Amino acid sequence: MIEAKDLRKTFGTTVAVDGLSLTIEPGEVFGLLGPNGAGKTTTIHMLIGALSPDSGDVLIDGKADPTRADVRKKLGIAPQSISLYDELTAEENLRFFGKMNDLSGGLLKERTAWAIEFAGLAERRRSRVKTFSGGMKRRLNLACALVHDPPIILMDEPTAGVDPQSRNHIFERIEALKNDGRTIVYTTHYMEEAQRLCDRVAIMDRGRILALDTVAGLIAAHGGQSVIEAELDRPPDDADAIDGVLDGTSLRVETDRPLERVAALAEAGLSFRTLQVHQPDLETVFLSLTGRRLRD
Amino acid sequence: MGKVFTLALKDLTLLRRDLFAMFWVVAFPLVFGLFFGAIFGGAGDGARSAMPIVIVDQDQTDGSTAFIDRLDASTAINVEPSDDPEASRDLVRRGKRVACIVVRDGFGKSFGGMFGGESLLEITIDPSRGAEQGMLQGLLQEAMYRSVIDRFRDSTVARESSQSSIDSIRADEGIDPIQKAILLTFMGSLDTFLGTIDPAMYEDAMTFDGGGGIETVEVETESRGPTSFEISFPQAMMWGVIGCAAAFAISIVQERTGGTFLRLRVSPISRAQILAGKGLACFLAITGVLVGMLLVETLILGVRLGNPAGLVLAVVCTGVCFVGIMMLVSVIGKTEQAVAGAGWAAFLVMAMLGGGMVPVFFMPRWMYMLSHASPVQWGITAIQGATWRGYSFTELLPSCGLLVGVGIACYVIGVRVLAITDR
Ligand SMILES: Nc1ncnc2c1ncn2[C@@H]1O[C@H](COP(=O)(O)OP(=O)(O)OP(=O)(O)O)[C@@H](O)[C@H]1O
Ligand SMILES: [Mg+2]
Repeated sequence: MIEAKDLRKTFGTTVAVDGLSLTIEPGEVFGLLGPNGAGKTTTIHMLIGALSPDSGDVLIDGKADPTRADVRKKLGIAPQSISLYDELTAEENLRFFGKMNDLSGGLLKERTAWAIEFAGLAERRRSRVKTFSGGMKRRLNLACALVHDPPIILMDEPTAGVDPQSRNHIFERIEALKNDGRTIVYTTHYMEEAQRLCDRVAIMDRGRILALDTVAGLIAAHGGQSVIEAELDRPPDDADAIDGVLDGTSLRVETDRPLERVAALAEAGLSFRTLQVHQPDLETVFLSLTGRRLRD
Repeated sequence: MGKVFTLALKDLTLLRRDLFAMFWVVAFPLVFGLFFGAIFGGAGDGARSAMPIVIVDQDQTDGSTAFIDRLDASTAINVEPSDDPEASRDLVRRGKRVACIVVRDGFGKSFGGMFGGESLLEITIDPSRGAEQGMLQGLLQEAMYRSVIDRFRDSTVARESSQSSIDSIRADEGIDPIQKAILLTFMGSLDTFLGTIDPAMYEDAMTFDGGGGIETVEVETESRGPTSFEISFPQAMMWGVIGCAAAFAISIVQERTGGTFLRLRVSPISRAQILAGKGLACFLAITGVLVGMLLVETLILGVRLGNPAGLVLAVVCTGVCFVGIMMLVSVIGKTEQAVAGAGWAAFLVMAMLGGGMVPVFFMPRWMYMLSHASPVQWGITAIQGATWRGYSFTELLPSCGLLVGVGIACYVIGVRVLAITDR
């Protein structure tokens, strides 16, 4: 459905995107995960034709040039920066962007009402956007991308600067869209979001895709082993029999099968004061791919 | 086209809700126009700004009276009679009056010294009012000339004077005999002419164009010059126009940095449509300001509407010009601050040079020449031209042509630059 071939974009001397290729299938939620400055926003803007790549192509539904009107109608974008008219009300913003996307009459009314509901702003729909909190603006920013009911939605950090409650609200709505069969491109630097939402994730750094797979596939390939960390009640009788690193009563074990190992250790007569199992996640994947943490 | 209107409507709503912009667009021009109109105007016919002068008539003849009446008729000066030359000169010295004029004995007899060597008019002028000196001298000469003509209009009076001149020339021993002969021949034939012509026909001939045509026209321009509101309002209107252009230039860069422009670019509309929407909104705002100010001017302040159709043209051309300038200013910088700062700086220069603050006719010559390069001046010229100056279409054409031409050029450049920087 969306295909990018060898996209490249530089700003002056900064190489923002450096030979990026990817294919996004219809109905999938595709995550672009990367630290600040990785080139996620630049990539999104090239995908929607708002930025022209220095080289490379973008195909949407097999056709080049995402700036054609029939393609544009299918796209909804929730930009990273809040892109709303501060002096207009929530409803006026939605109506305006609806009209810009060829909605009118009863459909416009219906979709505006839906979008207000989506953003959870029913009570504030006649308030000007400048009076909104950051989270409310974020929700409206996303709703404006959806008012014309596009099948393809690009969300550039839709949860940035949002409290956990608002974030949860946004998440539930996005999951509903996903279940509805929309194609979603989602950028974030919160790995837990990508893990929860995305069918496939591309891990980006310095304008390049380091790895691209399902979450499980990435973890299996790059996550390494699970880590068991335990504090024992007393030092084990036979320290040598334990396959791990023992330091007094602190035990650390790396393994592919953490639950079986814990069971085996308990069987061997160890009693745990505390026990933690760290399973590899996208953070670990990123760490192992780049030697750096996703966010510091 | 529907979308362009939707875009424009959105922008006008935003403008209406932006108090800062509304101040520049509505409040400031109105206050500017009324304030400067009021302080420079008063009654508006120039009476209050008339030069106060004091006149001492030592001659006390018909001639001197006619001369003083003439001066008094001018609206540019305010004549006050006095008997005491010393006290009158002192008034000037102390700055209470602009000038003191002493009409010396013999003035009437010699027709204001026109046919005599000695000066029969003494002028004392306040040295700090140098600018008015030339004007005053012009007025005095005019009055003198007029009163002489008036008197000559009566052929018997004219004849008396020609005969007395002949007598005094004859009696004068100091004149070179050849000169004397020439003068006597000339005065003699004048005397014969005056003695033989039908008095009614003579009077007709002396009144030029029946009823003193030249006289009337000149007096008219003086007394029916622009009222101060007619000067201050076109200036004020241009401030409103500038306010609109600045507000919209800033709104373009705001949309570009804020991301709403991105949203629009991803909508099924072209960049040309987006910018046309901006242009249309700006144009409507500008014409709205101009029409509003013109209504105040004509309905409340009674400003003359010389060429209504021409005024429509002037308003439209001014709108086109400043929409173009707005578009160009919007790409001066990439941030709101840059555009607001550089844009206002450019607009202020344009306004100052173009007579938006000091009317062009008060400017030193070099600045007056520069003012021709300012769109603000073209706008003021077009609007003044179509209102109280009563320009014809042909006369409006230069300023209107410049407005439209430069407007379109700026628009095209602005759109091009935006297309290049926005990729
Ligand atoms: N308009 C621009 N002009 C100059 N440099 C730019 C521009 N846009 C992006 N860049 C640079 O390109 C690189 C990638 O930026 P981009 O915004 O795509 O990163 P990102 O992954 O979205 O980061 P973030 O998580 O902070 O949003 C950065 O180094 C950035 O400084
Ligand atoms: Mg970004």
